Amino acid sequence: MKNLLMLFAFSLLFISCQSSSETKSLNLDDYTWEDILAEGQAQDMTMMMWKGDPKINAYMQKYIKPKLLKKHNINLTIVDGQGNYIVQMLMAELQASASTSEIDLIWINGETFYQLRQIDALFGPWTSKLPNADKIDFENPFIGKDFQQAIDGYEMPWGNVQMTLIYNQDKIRQPPQTRAELLSFVKEHPGKFTWDNHFTGLTFMKALLIDIAGGADVLKGEFNENLYAKYSDELWVYLNQLKPYLWRQGEVFPENVAQMHQLFANGELLFTMSINDAEVDNKVEEGLFQKSSRAYVPEFGSIQNSHYLGISKLSQRKLTAMVVVNELISEENQLEKMKPSVWGDGTVLQVSKLDSVFQKKFNSIAQRNYAPHREDIQEKALPELAPEYMIHLAEDFKKNLID
Amino acid sequence: MRKHIGQSIVGFIILFPLVFLLILSFGKQWFYPHILPNIWQTSQWESLFSPSFQLTKSLGLSLLLSISVGLVSTITAFYFSKKIAYSYSKTTWLSLAYVPYLLSPIIFAVLIHFYFLKIGLSGSLFGVIIAQFLICFPFGIIICSTFWTSQIQSLENLSSTLGGSTTQTLKRVLLPLAKSTLLLCFFQCFLISWFEYGLTHFIGAGKVKTLTVSVFAYVNEANPFLAALAGFLLILPSVLLLLVNKRLIFKTSKKLTDYE
Amino acid sequence: MFNIKQITPWKTALFILMLLPMLLGLGYGLLYSFGVIGLLNTGFTTEHWSDVLLNFSFWKSLLFSFSIGLISVGISLVMALWMVVNWHLDLRKGKLSTLIYLPLAFPATVVGFFIFQSFSKAGFWSRFLYQIGIISDIEDFPSVVNDAYGIGIILASSFIITPFLSLILKGIFENEHVTKFQHIAKNLGASQRQVLVKITLPILLQKAKTSLLLFLIFVIGSYEIPLLLGRQNPKMITVAIVDKAQRFNLNDIPQAYAMAILYVLFLLFLFFGFQRLAKLKTKAYA
Repeated sequence: MKNLLMLFAFSLLFISCQSSSETKSLNLDDYTWEDILAEGQAQDMTMMMWKGDPKINAYMQKYIKPKLLKKHNINLTIVDGQGNYIVQMLMAELQASASTSEIDLIWINGETFYQLRQIDALFGPWTSKLPNADKIDFENPFIGKDFQQAIDGYEMPWGNVQMTLIYNQDKIRQPPQTRAELLSFVKEHPGKFTWDNHFTGLTFMKALLIDIAGGADVLKGEFNENLYAKYSDELWVYLNQLKPYLWRQGEVFPENVAQMHQLFANGELLFTMSINDAEVDNKVEEGLFQKSSRAYVPEFGSIQNSHYLGISKLSQRKLTAMVVVNELISEENQLEKMKPSVWGDGTVLQVSKLDSVFQKKFNSIAQRNYAPHREDIQEKALPELAPEYMIHLAEDFKKNLID
Repeated sequence: MRKHIGQSIVGFIILFPLVFLLILSFGKQWFYPHILPNIWQTSQWESLFSPSFQLTKSLGLSLLLSISVGLVSTITAFYFSKKIAYSYSKTTWLSLAYVPYLLSPIIFAVLIHFYFLKIGLSGSLFGVIIAQFLICFPFGIIICSTFWTSQIQSLENLSSTLGGSTTQTLKRVLLPLAKSTLLLCFFQCFLISWFEYGLTHFIGAGKVKTLTVSVFAYVNEANPFLAALAGFLLILPSVLLLLVNKRLIFKTSKKLTDYE
Repeated sequence: MFNIKQITPWKTALFILMLLPMLLGLGYGLLYSFGVIGLLNTGFTTEHWSDVLLNFSFWKSLLFSFSIGLISVGISLVMALWMVVNWHLDLRKGKLSTLIYLPLAFPATVVGFFIFQSFSKAGFWSRFLYQIGIISDIEDFPSVVNDAYGIGIILASSFIITPFLSLILKGIFENEHVTKFQHIAKNLGASQRQVLVKITLPILLQKAKTSLLLFLIFVIGSYEIPLLLGRQNPKMITVAIVDKAQRFNLNDIPQAYAMAILYVLFLLFLFFGFQRLAKLKTKAYA
């Protein structure tokens, strides 16, 4: 028994005093792009991204992955993860002073970027080293700023989307345009509307919050505790008014957006949502949604945001990751993913800066049949709020509506 | 008559999942309120035969993983169960052997994750093998410990008195007698590993894509058809093994509770 | 007391393989939950423990898991007893004897998935009832999965436990020569019901005690099934712990470790406490 205790105590001691590992820190000043390209070739690399959409997965697995293999002999492994999961994972690695990270490239934005910077888990700055970065439209406030934060070269914009609500045109003539109309809608059609308990649902709530606050300018800039408290109280009152008429009486919310799409496809819900404005086209084409599905942005607007790519600090494949990112933001690959039949994700490139061949290609992309055109909803685009808003909304949503 | 109806109901409850999963795995679209998928496809099953298909890779990986864990756990458990059975503190050790089972594997994974990260085992197949071994091995001890009766002990002594070396005793006397216990131990450890999701997903960081991990991946992608296919593949080997080894399970369930 | 000679090499090796990982894990959890280690922690504090202990949601989840476990094992016990008492001959030979083994091949993941696809509002049974006209709208089908009572979880757990338990009970039935005792009792004039209550059930239940406890612990510790069939409120304890460690506020992670340790203590108490109680009882009869 004594020996057991000694062993136990010894191990506790061992954990408490960890020595920091020495990972060679990468100084990008020593590298030119040619160097990076040369060293980044012929490696294995892991990317962590949200894998809840089969079309996005297909784009990555069937188009990007073979291309990377052929062009740069890079073997890309993709694993599932987003948001807090990524932060927890990288945090655990930092705490254990791991010598390498399990993931090299990560698909992030907003509050994840914020938390990763907080715990210093991101490598950077690196984005200016990439030749294709010159064509990115950093001036565009929807691209150059991530949830009101300066990206400072720590993450590279990858795509741009605006949120829409999707409904069945056969069953609904006039979709609700204001909060009041939404309330009467759910009263008329109980159990047919809801939102998910994750990113998409929170983005929807943010749009409602902005509407309650009276416009995007009110909540602009850094997080304001008082403003948040004031307007979120009203938000919870409003949502609690909706609650009894929501799906499952608002006692349960779909865990993720994929589940919500299934419920909509089954007819259990009359509405679903997507942060990607082109998603309705994808899903109709896949055969999941009926052809009578349409997407729209209500009068109170919806959030438009960009999503980004970051590199983990402990990654041993930073140069390879940079090569991969350079590919992902190239005109060819950005064009491919913008096609509604592939993903429908907006580009972060400034089309006017591209050569004429590509300009023509971008401008003549197959039109959307079921989703509104981006130009039409641009004026209703709301900017993202500071990340703390989302973090607080997530917590308070649990407190006020679920518990 | 009543017995017949009752048993048919039980039979239905047992067979329905198998049939249902099989049908679903051939589906492409299953709009409400169709009872059967309204659009079918065989392409999913056909893809199984191409080695680049994720599910085929998962199948191979799961087999490799579970067989390794089963083998290592059985061998180690056999060795240690003998030591325990003949020692004074037999009951203490056996009681303690239940403890890893008491923790849910996922909670166990959450607690030791730090160490795996530190040693660099996180996200690797080897790391998952070790983690699963730590859960299966104590279970194996409990199963194997029932083999070492005083009868066996006397046989061992007899063999060495007659001049046999330890290896000979092992090969000629013990192993043949222990065959069914060893098979059962391997089988149970194999199953624990084969079915495991939480721990595999956590320690493997999503990179070790076993069949169970695939089922969840397809569920999260809202693809019930591929999930059903993965589920069916999960069941198949176990059903086959079970039908072959029916006797073994039955014998041990008694042994497990006999220890009190 | 503890002789140095008794620490043989095999005992050390066994300790390392069997107990050390757990002790290390618990040690890490303790340190983290008290704020001693951890990236966002600032030093020793008891606030995380008080947050967990005084917070209703932890106890709610624990109680919920425990109740679901009791109900699942209870239902399985009734069904398994019924089958063994009435059909023990068919369980030995014939179709039923083979069929009863099949569910043992189903992993929790697949059972959870299957129950979801069968019993959700868009599931098989809902479609069936719609087709034969009992319900006219998808809304009319009752909420059986992701519901407040854990019905889906109970269904799945019972599906897994019942066959296993039947086999154990069948084994006991035969090894304890219950049929013999039944005959003797009948010859002495006992009625069907008396035989059942005074002979069959006590023998079966007495010997199956530990198995029942193990199944209870199995349900409490299950993760995949509540992940697929449960919901955010009420939440099973394993899901609650993993969620706190992975999905929510970063500052809650120490709480997740505290919860994990409490959970382990609870199970240890349950298991060893039960064993103690059982021993005391049998001693009383000696």
